[in-house]
Amino acid sequence: MSLLEIKNAELKLDGKDILKGLSLSVNKGEVHAIMGPNGSGKSTLSYMLAGRDGYELEGGEVFLEGQSLSKMEADERARSGLFLAFQYPVELPGVGGISFLREAVNSRKKFLGEEELDHLAFVKEVRKVASKMFVKDEMLKRAVNVGFSGGEKKRFEILQMAMLKPKISILDETDSGLDVDALKIVSDGVNAQRNEDNAIVVITHYQRLLDYIVPDFVHILSDGSIIKSGGPELALEVEKNGYAGLINAA
Amino acid sequence: MLHKVKNNYITSVKNHVSQFKENSFRKLASNDFKSWPSPREETWRLSRLGVLSRKEITPIIPDFKKKFSSVSQFNGSIIIRFVDGALRKDLSSKLPPGSSLNILGEEDSLKCLHKFKDSNLKNHPSTNVSFSCTPSIVKLTIEKDVNIRNFFEIIYEGGDDNLSVHPALYIDLQDNSSITVIERFNHLSSLIMPLQLIELKKNTSMDSLKIFSDNQQSYNLSANCTFLSDKSNYNSFSVIKGGIFTRSETHAYLQGENCNLNLNGVYLSSKNQHHDLTTAIYHDVPNCTSKQIVRGVLGGKSTGVFQGKVRVAPDAQKTDGQQMSRAILLSENAIANAKPELEIYADDVVCAHGATVGEIDDEQLFYLKSRGISEKKAKQILITAFLKDIINESVEASMQSFVFKEAELALSEIISEEI
Repeated sequence: MSLLEIKNAELKLDGKDILKGLSLSVNKGEVHAIMGPNGSGKSTLSYMLAGRDGYELEGGEVFLEGQSLSKMEADERARSGLFLAFQYPVELPGVGGISFLREAVNSRKKFLGEEELDHLAFVKEVRKVASKMFVKDEMLKRAVNVGFSGGEKKRFEILQMAMLKPKISILDETDSGLDVDALKIVSDGVNAQRNEDNAIVVITHYQRLLDYIVPDFVHILSDGSIIKSGGPELALEVEKNGYAGLINAA
Repeated sequence: MLHKVKNNYITSVKNHVSQFKENSFRKLASNDFKSWPSPREETWRLSRLGVLSRKEITPIIPDFKKKFSSVSQFNGSIIIRFVDGALRKDLSSKLPPGSSLNILGEEDSLKCLHKFKDSNLKNHPSTNVSFSCTPSIVKLTIEKDVNIRNFFEIIYEGGDDNLSVHPALYIDLQDNSSITVIERFNHLSSLIMPLQLIELKKNTSMDSLKIFSDNQQSYNLSANCTFLSDKSNYNSFSVIKGGIFTRSETHAYLQGENCNLNLNGVYLSSKNQHHDLTTAIYHDVPNCTSKQIVRGVLGGKSTGVFQGKVRVAPDAQKTDGQQMSRAILLSENAIANAKPELEIYADDVVCAHGATVGEIDDEQLFYLKSRGISEKKAKQILITAFLKDIINESVEASMQSFVFKEAELALSEIISEEI
């Protein structure tokens, strides 16, 4: 059984077809990259998976470990082990970083039947993980994403991923707005979490992120469906010839 | 019959002042109380008092034997207690050196009345009625160069069904002095008409916190008139959560240069509550800054009103005035009204204003839910943050947790009904 199974996903936004029968199967231990030009449906795919209101499927189905996601709210999906790293992380004025993380982690732990961490133990754990991601204490004390630089926001997303230990992570254009150094830190953070029991789907425009997070499979998304799949070499082809060549060939 | 009831309170006030001599300031004030404000009056259009004219209310005769019921919230605070609108020195603290509490005589009371009558609070019902019916005007004086570290905790309580309560306080901060004042309104089922006159002399500073938490049958029509001289600071924050109808109206006159004024606050409204924060700031001289930042959370069939006026006189160049009002509606039946008014007659000024009324932000809600946090908890987190944000920004650090606790109590009531 696949960890994540997307079967013929169809979705409309404002009456317009965005996903047109998209299928994808992701197994444990795998890293998949989904590449595509602007407007191909990349962000729609990530919101659909995460369960954002207004992004419900019109046709097809998505399964997480065999369980259909269609009736599950965003929070249930997250507790079940699905994580979305946002392209544009949302600012939460007045919500402190530590208490936000603790609320999220304890929601997941409760779902898994694990013991919730008390405040002190939690702070200790966060600091340990955060330091590996170059997330400073001072950042954790601030309101979530408020006044963070582009790099800080993305590092904070990956810190959340590390704390929540999801089964499947969708990274939505995590490389956007990052310089090379920040890209490396974020990628190292992601790579440190790769293991045999989880999987990662990297959604990106550019090949450059895939130099750091090396995928097992690359898929080309165009006009709402996957038109070509292959290994890492497919990303290099995109880099060399652009999307146009692939799309025309398909 | 209706007509008779309509005039009932006016007659009660006239009867009350009949015991005083002809030239008393009370009679002068009562002469101007001819009716409740009509909804046709612009400043009362959104907060209508019609219901009061149909009630049979009489001014309270203070019971000086009444015990107090509200306990102090702070260690080491200097308590000043008003019961039934009357100062109770026997239930108040001894004042620290450099401060004094006096009851004003006829002549000084008349001066206070004139200050109100020269202001835009001249027609406010509390001005006319409370000057007529207050047991006495109490003056708190802070002497020159005196900085009092401990909080003044002023507790207003008492009252009862169909009675009106009239505490009147005049705070005089003499040059180079500073204080922090926390006021709590904890009346029972009455019509409360507090009057407050504040004079901030040169280079003074006052932090003020007001908690309106009268019981759910009360009407509170607070009227505050504040004058600021050179280099004075007035930082005021109100939490309106009590009463069936609470309106806090503050008029602040910036009369000296380099003053800094904040009239900020939150209202937390549920059921049938009507809450109104009305502020007016008059920049009469150059180089002053002012802020009016107000946030509201509403549930049930409640109504919130923010009316904020900034007037910048032709000479008041280099004025910086900020005004922002935001309200979150948690119920389809709740209403929030925001009415900003800017009257700017000077050309070299910065005046920004904005008002939003809406539901909880979708993006923020989705972000929290995408982290496994339930919708109910996520909404709680966002509303709490909405209040925490303004409290942290506006309230002096040592009082933030107290203010937040006060707000949280009311908030949990709204949330339990709506989410």
